Amino acid sequence: MSDKAKGKMTVFKTDRHEDAAAMVFVSLVVIVVLTYMAYVVPTVTIKPSQDGKLVSIAVQTDQEVKKGDLLYTFEYKDKKFVNGQLEEKLAIKEVKASTNGKVLSVGVKEGDVLKKGKNAILVMDHEKGTLP
Amino acid sequence: MEEKSSVAKVLAIVPGLAVMIGTLFLLRTYVEPWMKDAVVFGQKGWLVQVLSLNYILLSIIAGIIYRNVFFGGKIPDWAEAGFRTTRLFIKSGVIMLGCLYTLQKLAKVGSIAILLISTFVFGTVFFVIWYGKRIGMERSMIGVMGASCGVCGVSAAVATAPGVNAKPSEVALAIATILGFGIMTMFISPFIGKALSMSDYQFGAWVGTGILNSGQVLATCLAFNPTFAPGTAVAYGEIWNVVRVISIPFVVFIITTWACKAEAAESCSTGSQMSLGKVFKDRFPIFVIGFFGMTALSSLGWLGAEGSNTLHLMREVMSWIFGIGLVGQGAYIDFRELRRAGGKPLRVGLVAGTLKYVVALIVIMLFVSKDASF
Repeated sequence: MSDKAKGKMTVFKTDRHEDAAAMVFVSLVVIVVLTYMAYVVPTVTIKPSQDGKLVSIAVQTDQEVKKGDLLYTFEYKDKKFVNGQLEEKLAIKEVKASTNGKVLSVGVKEGDVLKKGKNAILVMDHEKGTLP
Repeated sequence: MEEKSSVAKVLAIVPGLAVMIGTLFLLRTYVEPWMKDAVVFGQKGWLVQVLSLNYILLSIIAGIIYRNVFFGGKIPDWAEAGFRTTRLFIKSGVIMLGCLYTLQKLAKVGSIAILLISTFVFGTVFFVIWYGKRIGMERSMIGVMGASCGVCGVSAAVATAPGVNAKPSEVALAIATILGFGIMTMFISPFIGKALSMSDYQFGAWVGTGILNSGQVLATCLAFNPTFAPGTAVAYGEIWNVVRVISIPFVVFIITTWACKAEAAESCSTGSQMSLGKVFKDRFPIFVIGFFGMTALSSLGWLGAEGSNTLHLMREVMSWIFGIGLVGQGAYIDFRELRRAGGKPLRVGLVAGTLKYVVALIVIMLFVSKDASF
């Protein structure tokens, strides 16, 4: 390594080059992720985004769904600061299909307790070219 | 000295980068899950729940250990090029954070963020100039310390150095002081936030104002609430952080103007051609345009719907990119450098950093509502 390069905090000529490289790098990452999700990923597993309880499931195995169709509803504790006080109340969330597809399997039943990111609620196929 | 070919330069990056990626892989795959289950003082998950340790904080700690223990205080030649990709990863992570917002959400908190950040950034710069002069610190050192304490430990110091004729050693001292201060605040801030029952909004606003480095803001917010999602501490903290980063050219201009006025005109190398427009053109951190680009894509729904698997994967990749960068950032914290910094620079850094951190906490608690804006 040249003496000039030693002590620098970047592998690029200038900060401006590094900024541009970061933007190019992120663009590539975004393209790869979107392409992978739209065309490559064979199935997607839908997991709860927060802890809660499954209230109802609106689909069954092998059912075709359209974007916006209701998939399931679940109950969770909604924590929110209102006028400076932390309020906690039970809320119901409806989860809808983000794209057209088909339900391959249903992994839970009504009344099940769901843990954030743990339970596989549905496994779905999606229409190629859409983002599940 | 012989110049290396482009291929050789890229290959030189591989060993250090492999260490950074490998370290993060071990931390995320083995160490963090172990900590979640480990029983300490009779409590399962004590390390995570009480010490707020997560893979982001561990990444920085691992980097510090590499530099100060395994590498004996200096990153070895074989790894140096790889570790110098650190800021590329941090900047890439900040750009990707744009996917946490929509333009409407940014507009909601943007004005408060601009007001608070402007007050604290310029207030700190003027304080450092006043205090540095008072204790007889060199003008060039005051310049880089002002930029470091006011805006951002690394980028602003590097951007200000040419305008105040700072020596590389002075830039290194300013960076070491501020990163060292940031390490302390990273560990105590989550305790303070929880003790004061701060909301994610307040905590993000405080940390984004009071902590001086993008990576450390992220790590501290994730220690408070380990979720990458809209409405969490990290989402609020990074808005404040981005506003702070945007202020770099203004701070460079003010400090350079001050330094030039203070010096004799003939010894000021940049004074004759300096203007805010030129400083803005030369120093504006253009990667923040990428951040707003990501927010625009998110607003248009082109990155997938909120809660979708696509957005989840995007944020997972983002967390890896940040983690790699933070291992590298830890390796730029050299305790010997901090000891060398001692005396006046250390005193100025600690006083200015602490003042900003404490006053920001008081202002946030008094004037910023707990209720989130989005």
